[in-house]
This record gives sequence, structure tokens and C-alpha cells, in this order.
Amino acid sequence: MSIFLAQLLTGLAYGMLYFMIAVGLTIILGVMNVVNLAHGTLFMLGAYIAFTFINDEVNFWAALLLAVLLTAVLGLVLEKLLIKRIYGKELEQVLLTFGLSFIIADAIEWIWGTEMHTLPVPGLLSGSLSIGSTAFPLYRLFVVFIGCLLALLLWYLETKTRVGAIIRAGVDDRAMVSALGINVGLVFTGVFAFGAALAGLSGVLGGPLIGMYTGMDSEILVTSLIVVVIGGLGSWKGSFIGAIAIGVIETLGKVWFPSLSMLTVFLIMMIVLIIRPQGLFGREVA
Amino acid sequence: MKKLLLGVVLLIALVFAMPLVLSDFGINLATEIYIMAIFAMSLGLIMGYAGMVSLGHAGFFGIGAYTVAVIGQHVANTYLLLLLSVVISGLIALVTGAVFIRTSKFYFLMITLAFGQLLYVLFWQLKPWTGGADGMSVSAILNFGFGEIVSPNGFYYVMGIAFIIFYILLRLFVESPAGKITKGIMENEARMSALGYNVRVYKLLAYTLSGALAGLAGALYAYFNVFVSPDLSGWMFSGQVMVMVIIGGVGTLLGPALGASVFIYLQNFMSTYTERWPMVMGALLVALVLAGKGGLIHWLQHGKSLFVARKRTGEAVSQQPVKKGEAVH
Repeated sequence: MSIFLAQLLTGLAYGMLYFMIAVGLTIILGVMNVVNLAHGTLFMLGAYIAFTFINDEVNFWAALLLAVLLTAVLGLVLEKLLIKRIYGKELEQVLLTFGLSFIIADAIEWIWGTEMHTLPVPGLLSGSLSIGSTAFPLYRLFVVFIGCLLALLLWYLETKTRVGAIIRAGVDDRAMVSALGINVGLVFTGVFAFGAALAGLSGVLGGPLIGMYTGMDSEILVTSLIVVVIGGLGSWKGSFIGAIAIGVIETLGKVWFPSLSMLTVFLIMMIVLIIRPQGLFGREVA
Repeated sequence: MKKLLLGVVLLIALVFAMPLVLSDFGINLATEIYIMAIFAMSLGLIMGYAGMVSLGHAGFFGIGAYTVAVIGQHVANTYLLLLLSVVISGLIALVTGAVFIRTSKFYFLMITLAFGQLLYVLFWQLKPWTGGADGMSVSAILNFGFGEIVSPNGFYYVMGIAFIIFYILLRLFVESPAGKITKGIMENEARMSALGYNVRVYKLLAYTLSGALAGLAGALYAYFNVFVSPDLSGWMFSGQVMVMVIIGGVGTLLGPALGASVFIYLQNFMSTYTERWPMVMGALLVALVLAGKGGLIHWLQHGKSLFVARKRTGEAVSQQPVKKGEAVH
């Protein structure tokens, strides 16, 4: 039982990481109608930037903050320079973001090499919490906490603030939002940078758990795309539920039938799609 | 029909003339290009004629390749192995496609990506059968009943002829009533549905054909490369073939084939000069999008239509005065 609980926590922690990256992807998709195939590389980049700072004796938290800021800035620059030009052009988006993921992934390989790295667990969180006979690593609890905090923040933003209202309206009817005199371009830039920042955050927080290695960007991208598909386009709630489900099922699946963990995740996606083609929380889209 | 005949004669001439000028290295490269051209055409069929953008098409390529590699250990007959790879990949396309085509375009993209990645991971994890990450060598030898084909030239002609055959078959499909209905669905699904066509059946038909052909390309590749690895189903490869289709020109058949030759050539060319070719390739893609002029074949067509238009307006001017409005167009 105690092993099961510990694994459940691991699954939850992974789920929260998936949530952080998928929520950016799903909001970018929902609001801007852009498939960002470079989202996985932003995740990876965040982790590597933090890695460099930590190697330079920068405190974990400062490194986390810097990495998130830098990925957000990169997202901002990418949107302003490139993504902006290809709204509404699906094929171009695929080509452009695929090209970007090539460039970023190759740059990472160039700068940091192909060896595997991990980030150290920050000193404050290196212990574990014992409840009964089960020891829960503090860091994983912390990641789950941050994930829940993010969900709370998103809920607040969505329901209580003007920005949230604009973004909700943007998902429903972009032309109308623009006609109401709202600067849609600014909203798009903000959303893209926010998504990039979340990807970076997820990468740094995942550093001590998943580590960094060549090819992780595509793995994480595929997982978060599955989360988006299951949860429904443009819905952070869907991503939250979907990410937790995938994180837990994948972790337990790895323990119970190690060679078929990906298959279970895929089958869940298929079942959801057969029952609800638009995803759990998605609305019918044309 | 006349145009098709002319095109085929040109292609045949091309395939048989190339060995006269190519080195051994060039022959090998051209062989790989023919296989990739078949693969790119299979994706071009659903992207350009059915409006389905798949990022997991390498999944079918991998299925075909592993069919030859795994079953080829026990079965020697080339015809049977090729048939099996077509049937297996076609069946898998049929079953998964039945679910996939219910979704809208972005979903389709993401789901196919997940599908390709699933196969990638499966080939990786089913180590006892597939050799896992190390891949496996292919023991089956290409033999159509005229003796074993092992020389580079032999492979060259087999793949070249296969390319022409599948080009003809695809051309016949897109010109057939079913092909035209599929294209109609891409252009206006609601209208075709209102006209009484079963939209899903035609989309599924195109997807199944495309998957089966991709599987066949994979099977041919397994023979050619004598080695298969999970990367054949990876999303990188799916992305690359999609790039081939897009740089060649979506909505045509020869465009993707042209895109495949440019892509493979560039990849080879660049990887001899720099280790950082993915970066160069990525930069080229970004540049291509920013240029925003469609695929290569569109450039060619555009050039041709400019030429033809000039000739025509020239004639028109000499015969009768052109009204202002027409002259603008």
C-alpha cells in the first residue's frame, strides 16, 4: 500500500508537470489557433538554462526565476518576429514551428552536448515527509503544490479578471473581440509568452525528476498533445484533469506493464475520442 | 489522359537516363529519393486531396519496414512480404482512421502525431521481436522471381519503376470519381454531405490508401537499407516527410516527390559539410515560410502560367482590342 501511495505521488507530480506545459499549449491553440510544435523544446530549454545558472553557483530559486523569464522573453520575441505572420495558416504554422524546434533542439545539443543531466533538488526540499509507513519526497509534494497553485491562479484569472474575460471571449469569437476594440495582437503576444514561461517553469521543475536528455522535447510534446486532446482544446480544466490522469496512469503503467505504458496512454486517448471527439472539456469545433 | 501518358514517358526517360550521369553515390541517393518520393506522395494524397494533415505518417512507414524485417525472417517471398506490409499498414490505417477522421483539423494533427509516436515507442519496447533501440537488420532479400536483387543498380531500377507505378495509380485515383469526391469534401464538406455523399467513407478511403502506400514505401526502404530502427516511425521522420510535401507543393502529386528529392539531397549535402545540419534545415524551413510562396511545384507552375499568360495576351491584343477590365486580370 505504501509503495502504491508513493507511486501515486510520483504520478501526480508528473501530471502537474504535464499540466504546466499542456496548459500553455492548449491556451495558445484555443485563443490563437496555433499549433506550437516548438513547445517541447521550450520546456527543454528552460531546464538547460537553469542548469547553467545552477552550475554557476546561482541559487535554485533564482535560477528557476531567470529560466522562466528567459523562456518568456524568447516566446515574446518568437511571437513578435515569426508566429505573428502566420495566424490562420495551418500548414505554415506546422512548418515554421517544426523548423524552430529543429533550430532550438540543435542549438541545445551544440551548447550543452548530448550527455544526460539532472538538476539538483533544492536543499530546502531534499527530505521527505513520513506519514504512517510511507515516505513522501518533499520535492514531489512541492511540484504537486505548485501545479495546484497554478490551477487556482488560472481559475482566478479566468473568472475574476478582465484579461480572463478577454481570453475566454477570444476562444469563442476572435473577430468579435477585435471588433470591440480590444488589441488582439497584444493579447496574443501575452498568451504566447505566458505559455512559453509555463513551459520553461515545467522544464526547470521537471529537471530534478525527469532530467534533461536529447529527444526529451519530442517525448514531452507528444505527452502534452495527448493531454490537450483528452482535455479539450483551449480548456485549462481539461488539461488539469487530463494531465493528472495521464501522469498517474503512465507512472502506474510503467510499474505494472513496463513495455506497454505508452499503449495504455494512447488507448485512453482513443476511448475519450470515441466517446467525446472534442475532448472532455472541449466545445464542438468546426 | 494524354497528359498522364506524356508525364509517364518523361518520368521513364528520367529514371533510365539518370544512371548515365550519376556516380555510385548518386545512384544510391537517387534510389533513396524514389522511396521517399513514394512515401511523400502517400502523405501528399491525404494532405493535398483530402485536407488531412497528418504528423504521424512515419508510423505506417515503420509498420511496413518492420513487417519486412520481422516476418521476413520466416518468409522469403518478396511478393508476399510486400503484400503483407500493404495489408497490415492499410488495416491499421482503416481502424485508427475510423476514429481519427471524426475529429477536426488540429485534433487530427495531434492525434496522428501521438499515433506515430506510439508505434515508435512500441518498436522500441518490443525488444524481443524488434531489437529495441538498436534496431534490427533485414535478412529478407528482394527477389521478384528474376534472381536476387542486391546491386545498387538493381535497387535503383526497382525503386524507380515502383515510383512510376505508384505515381500512375495515385493519378488514376485522384482522377477517378472517388478521388474527385474526396477533393470536393476537402473543399466543402458540408456541401458534399448535403449532396448525399457519405463524407466519412471517402475520407477513410483516402486515409487507408495513403497508409497502405506509406507502408509499402517502408517495406521497400527495409529492403534497400537492410536495417530498420524505431526512428523510422519517429515524429522527426513524420515531420520531415510533411516538410517534403509542403516544400514540394501541397495539392499536387509530383510536388511531394520533388520535395522529397530536394529534401534528401539537401540533407545529404549539408550533413557532409556541417554537423549542425538540423539547424540549417530549420532555418531554411523558417525562411521558406516567411517567403510564403507555396511549394516548389507552385513556383514552377507560376512561372509557366506567367509565360503562357504573356503569350495569350499577346495573341489577344493582336486579334482584338481588350477591354480594360479584362486586361487587369
